[in-house]
Amino acid sequence: MPDDDYDQFVTERLDRLLRYATALTCDKHLAQDIVQDVLLRARQRWARIGAVDVPYLYVKRMVTNEYLSWRRRRAARDVSSTHVSLDDLAPAVADPAIRHAERDAMRARIAVLPRKQRAALVLRYYEDSTDAEIAEVLGCTEGTVRSHISRALHKLRVNEKTPSEVLR
Amino acid sequence: MTDHEALIREAIAAEADQAVDHRAVLAELRRKRSRRRPIALFAAATLTVAAAAVAVIVPLAVDRTASAPPAKQVAPASNARTVLLIGTDGGGNTDSIVLVRIAADTPVSAVWLPRDALVDLPGVGVDRLNSAYARGREVGGGQAGAEALARAVESLTGVAVDHHAEIDVAGVAALSDVVGGVDVCLRKPARDHLSGVDLPAGRILLGGQQALAFLRQRNGLPNGDLDRVMRQQVFLRALAAKVVGAQDPALVARVVEAARSTVRTDPGLELLEFAQRITPTMRTAIIPLGAEVDVENGTGPVRGHAVDPAAVRAFAAGFFADGAADTPTGGFTEPPAATQTQSPGEQESERGCVS
Repeated sequence: MPDDDYDQFVTERLDRLLRYATALTCDKHLAQDIVQDVLLRARQRWARIGAVDVPYLYVKRMVTNEYLSWRRRRAARDVSSTHVSLDDLAPAVADPAIRHAERDAMRARIAVLPRKQRAALVLRYYEDSTDAEIAEVLGCTEGTVRSHISRALHKLRVNEKTPSEVLR
Repeated sequence: MTDHEALIREAIAAEADQAVDHRAVLAELRRKRSRRRPIALFAAATLTVAAAAVAVIVPLAVDRTASAPPAKQVAPASNARTVLLIGTDGGGNTDSIVLVRIAADTPVSAVWLPRDALVDLPGVGVDRLNSAYARGREVGGGQAGAEALARAVESLTGVAVDHHAEIDVAGVAALSDVVGGVDVCLRKPARDHLSGVDLPAGRILLGGQQALAFLRQRNGLPNGDLDRVMRQQVFLRALAAKVVGAQDPALVARVVEAARSTVRTDPGLELLEFAQRITPTMRTAIIPLGAEVDVENGTGPVRGHAVDPAAVRAFAAGFFADGAADTPTGGFTEPPAATQTQSPGEQESERGCVS
């Protein structure tokens, strides 16, 4: 039964999809909207999607595309301004863990990367995808994937020394 | 793995940890799903037949294939009806919005209203035309969505909507298989992951999944949704040509049967009753459109096509005037020619190719 199959997929994969989408969007509410939207659409076409080799990859691609082309509703809020929690991310005065502060500063820097670069980064470092898989999801060549990632890495390194005050 | 990369990995994981609780989302999904699947989708199909395909094809086909059309004097010219066709993707998203005028002894006239035309919606402000459907549907299901969209279209065009019919685009695409494929012509090869389209340039015979992908692709086209509108027009005309060209009443019956299952309408719409008296030509157009702009509407920025309501009303009045049969002018025609009158069966020339 496609229905049971779909339900099982959602039960097993929803958490992972939400986490992926949150890492992608840096906005948990937008991530929820996108994932819900995509899953409702996927259900209509489950007979087809459920038949592909790895339905998760297919749905992940839908989520990624939805994000990359996202222009409706919460839409055009620019990525940089979407990340409302920049203030929250600044290291707390009394934070004892320097690593923690570094990590959060990195989060803020990642949040202002161009969408495709961030998507490539999340796919590599969160989903552990190969370049070929990333190319498939983003609909580009592996060369473009590598270029997205190297640009992103470069930018993150250059900005590493940027004090968080500048980001505010 | 460098320390730099390790830090990135940790940062992304920390971001992912911000995700909302999946159990809440699961509950939300189940709630929406049960509301989004009205049984009426199938039940209402017994009411009547009104797919774009049928509105177009049946009149044409009947006229050509029936040697002696039954004399049915129930539909004088003044008895014209205006039907709003709402093409959906089966999941509640509105792909296409078409206002069709059907009258005896007059060509079927169909004007496409791009879904991202920006209109002033009562109580909402400026938003995309298809958002009227989404809002209505949120409140009262598909029927309410269709009615809300009908009201928005009425206020935009000044044309009273008598009936509305919701069509699953997948069902329209499936009609191509019923007729053994539909001929279209592409200017360039079409490839797109999202819709799954993968077609060569030139003249092709469309069927099955590729027909659906052809009708649905929007991403990667030079004019996005507008190119999709052109494709729908070309597809419907080619479909009509195929049915008419076949001169086969049994084929018509099969098309009607297939269309029946893909459409749901408001109660009371019965097109077949005067189908016999409709002139076998079809006029298609797109409403006059302005540039693509961003507007602010309180909930956030919205991008869409600016629309001058006065221009749209003037265009609709002319296009739908009683007895109008000429090539429409004044609608959106940029690029390529979006408006043309064509007799079914006529060969599409190269200029009939679409993006």
